Amino acid sequence: MSRIPGLGIARGMALTLRRLFQPKVTVQYPEERYPVSPRHRGRLQLLYDEFGALKCETCFQCAQACPIECIDMGGTDTKDRFHVHWGPPEQYAERRSESALRRSGRPVPDPAYTAFEPVDLAPLEAILAAEDYDPRRMPAILERTQAAYGHLPVATLKHISHSTGAWYAEIYGTASSCEHLRFEAPTTRAIGLCRCAACTLAGGGRLRAALEAAGGTELPGTTPDGALTLAAVDCHGASPGDPYVTVDGVPQRGLSPEKLAELATAIRAATARPGRA
Amino acid sequence: MTRTVSRDDPRVLLESPATIYDAIPPYPPRSEREAEFYALRDGEMLVNLGPQHPSTHGVLRVVLKIDGEQVVDLDPVLGYLHRGIEKLAENADYHQAICYTDPLEYVSSLFNELAPVMAFEKLVEIEVPRRAEYIRILSCELLRIASHGLFTGWLALDLGGYAPILYGFIERDEIVEMLAALTGQRMLFNYMRIGGVNGDLNHEFMSRLGEWMSRAAREIAANQTLLNENEIFVRRTRGLGVIDRETALRLCLTGPALRATGVPYDIRRAHPYSVYPELEFDIPTRDEGDSYARYLLRLDEVKQSLRIIDQCLEQMPDGPCMAKIPRLIRPRPGRAFAAIESPRGQYACYAISDGTDQPFRFRIHDPSFVNLQSVGVLVPGNLIADTMAIMASLDPIMGGVDK
Amino acid sequence: MSVVARSWGHLTPAGKVVVPLLGIVLALGLVAFLGIVTGILPAIGDTVVLTGRRNVGIVRFLVAATAALLASVPIAFINIYLEMKLLAWIALRRGPNRVGPFGTLQSVAHGFKVLAKEDFTPTGADRAVFTIAPVVTFLSVVLAFMVVPFAPGIVGVDMNIAVLFFFAIGGLTVVGLLAGGWASFNKYSLLGGLRSAAQIISYEIPLTLSVVGVVMLAGTMSLHGIVEAQAGHFWNWFVFQQPLGFLVFFLAGTAEGNRTPFDLTEADSEIVAGFATEYSGMRYGFFYFAEYVNLFILSAVTAILFFGGWSAPVEIHQLAAWLGVAVPSFAIDPSQLGIGLLFLLALGPALGTVLCAIPVALLRTDWSLRRALAVGFVLFNVVAGGLVIAWAYLASEVVAGLFWFLGKTFFFVFVFVWMRATLPRVRIDQLMGFAWKWLLPASLFNIFATAAAIVLVNR
Repeated sequence: MSRIPGLGIARGMALTLRRLFQPKVTVQYPEERYPVSPRHRGRLQLLYDEFGALKCETCFQCAQACPIECIDMGGTDTKDRFHVHWGPPEQYAERRSESALRRSGRPVPDPAYTAFEPVDLAPLEAILAAEDYDPRRMPAILERTQAAYGHLPVATLKHISHSTGAWYAEIYGTASSCEHLRFEAPTTRAIGLCRCAACTLAGGGRLRAALEAAGGTELPGTTPDGALTLAAVDCHGASPGDPYVTVDGVPQRGLSPEKLAELATAIRAATARPGRA
Repeated sequence: MTRTVSRDDPRVLLESPATIYDAIPPYPPRSEREAEFYALRDGEMLVNLGPQHPSTHGVLRVVLKIDGEQVVDLDPVLGYLHRGIEKLAENADYHQAICYTDPLEYVSSLFNELAPVMAFEKLVEIEVPRRAEYIRILSCELLRIASHGLFTGWLALDLGGYAPILYGFIERDEIVEMLAALTGQRMLFNYMRIGGVNGDLNHEFMSRLGEWMSRAAREIAANQTLLNENEIFVRRTRGLGVIDRETALRLCLTGPALRATGVPYDIRRAHPYSVYPELEFDIPTRDEGDSYARYLLRLDEVKQSLRIIDQCLEQMPDGPCMAKIPRLIRPRPGRAFAAIESPRGQYACYAISDGTDQPFRFRIHDPSFVNLQSVGVLVPGNLIADTMAIMASLDPIMGGVDK
Repeated sequence: MSVVARSWGHLTPAGKVVVPLLGIVLALGLVAFLGIVTGILPAIGDTVVLTGRRNVGIVRFLVAATAALLASVPIAFINIYLEMKLLAWIALRRGPNRVGPFGTLQSVAHGFKVLAKEDFTPTGADRAVFTIAPVVTFLSVVLAFMVVPFAPGIVGVDMNIAVLFFFAIGGLTVVGLLAGGWASFNKYSLLGGLRSAAQIISYEIPLTLSVVGVVMLAGTMSLHGIVEAQAGHFWNWFVFQQPLGFLVFFLAGTAEGNRTPFDLTEADSEIVAGFATEYSGMRYGFFYFAEYVNLFILSAVTAILFFGGWSAPVEIHQLAAWLGVAVPSFAIDPSQLGIGLLFLLALGPALGTVLCAIPVALLRTDWSLRRALAVGFVLFNVVAGGLVIAWAYLASEVVAGLFWFLGKTFFFVFVFVWMRATLPRVRIDQLMGFAWKWLLPASLFNIFATAAAIVLVNR
């Protein structure tokens, strides 16, 4: 600041007054144009050589190198015979997300972004009220929710997020890092057996007895551990001389009662989960 | 405990229309500090400064707790401009990764390219031609002048001045057009390459540069008379946002914010890189540590940059501007760190190679982010109007803060 | 009925306006014809004229109020255009230059834009207060406009306490700003409204006190009388007897009009737009019309109080007498010319155009004759217009007064814009400190010094 008060302001005012009369710098765009440097790299156009031929040889190197894959090329080959194309044909947004998934090199499960089934939230409300809507008791909330619903449906996670204030991503992260918490209902496999007269006569009765013994339940029913469903299917006369058996909907041939019992036991051992009593 | 609901729950609008105006986050406090900040005493009020506000330099959101006009406390909320640049760069090969770093601190893009390029060169262990080094320094210092010119304008704009920002942009536009003649782009230059630069000096650039250098010092000095001694400007910035040397070092401030407290720490001299050891220039420092000192310090730096440009032009050697390097780089496994002095302070890049053609890890240390954290120390106790003056004097660029 | 409805449906939008207007005109014509024929209308007319003559004060007030309301809008437009253009030139830009000649209609286009925008009331706002606030602000400004004398006799209401009225009404502006800031239900608006309250009330005091010296010198509170007290040459202007008073008045007026560097109420870098943050459409437009009319009035009052209002810097007749030049007598009554006037009107433009075109055609031989004639026509108009203005200036003291008054006023508008382009904004505590620690003592000292001087001189 100078000694004389107001001198600094006066000098500034003098500068702006001088600027008032100086030539202006604005470029009036549509009429005037700024000269573009020959080295300018922003042209969105294909260049021609001095003979008027397109310089582009359709080598696709630019499209391959483009980091965000916004170059999408199509054309004919050098002898003008085949149509050649680089780049996926989808819309840009789809391509971008697809590309992001591909680049990440791993499957990205994101149930947060898929539509979810609504569930009855009354049991969850009871659990949350008991846990005081406290996000710091998240493991307990999640375990009790799984006990109530069998697994953690997305709807319940969303509701927990809304009610406790914890972010969905936090809850999802907590749940996915716990071995015993699961987001989908445990997969149930099914063994089907036809009970028509032809199949029963061909040995279906013995198969049924072996199956019910191995599964510990009646034929139309589910084993106590929930791992295996015994279903009644209809052969529609498809397997003459052999009882019609399906495993997960796939018809099986030539199964003896012992083999079927073994199969059922193996399936039960493989798919049973500790979380379910 | 009261039950809070998420803001995106549609019931919020139906049940209580007033709650959507609260700056209080919809979740319960997650730390002691948050609980303390969002508990309001009598007469206090929360104001959302940003993310859409005329003077937050992008999309910074600062929740101010004010008592009348006085700021009692503040809570900066970052992340509105997060683009995941570091992660994107890890999924591109070494050449491609450079162009991702351009929009970090978008008013000084060349610096954003220089640090990763230097780190990659250390990984690949190649020698950069000396002409390329000089061209790099020349273009970087030009851009430093442009960046400081914009800083002057922004500071004045946040104080309500109207003309300096436009004069700053005119100054910057000349430099940027000049660099466009050299690099081919105006803002995101993408000019640095591993092993050199994209193109040699050309006639258009040199003639523009010569014409500009003949009047640069005079014009910059003329524009400074608007603010330098202006009583209103001086009274508003002198003694404002004073940070002492110990606090500045403790907060890891770098760049002009640190040098304004009297610490002559400049990467160009402290850890010399490129051809800076061969150039003569001073590291200006000031002892006051206030906003006015930070402003004046940048003006001094502009003068030093002009000196450096002069010397670069004098000492420019002949030779190639690009080393011979393969199209696809697969460095040996290892790690490299390169730090440079950007207009805002220490800008550093850390890269790990696992032997593939993509960096395994790629991290940027950004001076805006580090400098911005000092607002928590500087702002409380000042008025709302001074919040802007303090933030602007730190010159944060949200592109770099949020990455 | 269905025929009418169907015909109505076939009309174009313009037709839907024109047809009812035609009907109204026809009906009025019929009524007038019948009224004149039966002699009722002349009788009513006589009554109206008589009533008007009896209540001439009221009629004059109504006409003046209407004129002030109507004039405030173009004045705001001119000020907005000036501000845009000057700010642009100072920033080395070109400014508005697309709408109208040299962009002069840009502010009109802005006015239409504001008119056509959605008029939005935010949720939670106090609707009644929110709606009435811009009107209060605008009306208080227009009321102050009523007492500003433009030229001898050209004044809305010539009050004997016009200065007092001006400050009293000027203080009402803050009610609108505060109400708007409060009713918006926005924290920035609230801060802006409270700032305006604090600022304008603080600056009212030095603003009013700084004028006391002028009032003491002039011996009257009528603005008309103050101007007449400064008649004569420019050294009679009060700025030379009251430099301190002028300085205080100018600075306090800057704050009163919310102009940079004291525009804290709408400090865009701090509190977004202050009290106007939540306003849109024509309500916002009212605030801004009020602000720019206020700018004009402040400049006008500065010119009146300290720069002699409509009086010329130098009396042209005395100047001519000193220089020994006779001022040509322009006291021509055009009607004396008789038939010559007809010839002048008929042939003057054509002859003048040809006369002006001849040198152009001789100088620019590369131009076509038609082009030379066109340029000659423009030249003739400029010359003739200049002559007419000169005649009017010399013949009528109203025109001369308007010329000088508007010249001085727009000079101060220019100074306000110039300050806005150059200066940063002060802080709120500096603003208040400046008012109470500097301006108030300075204005009190000014009153004391003036009183002492008057006493000393008169003794």
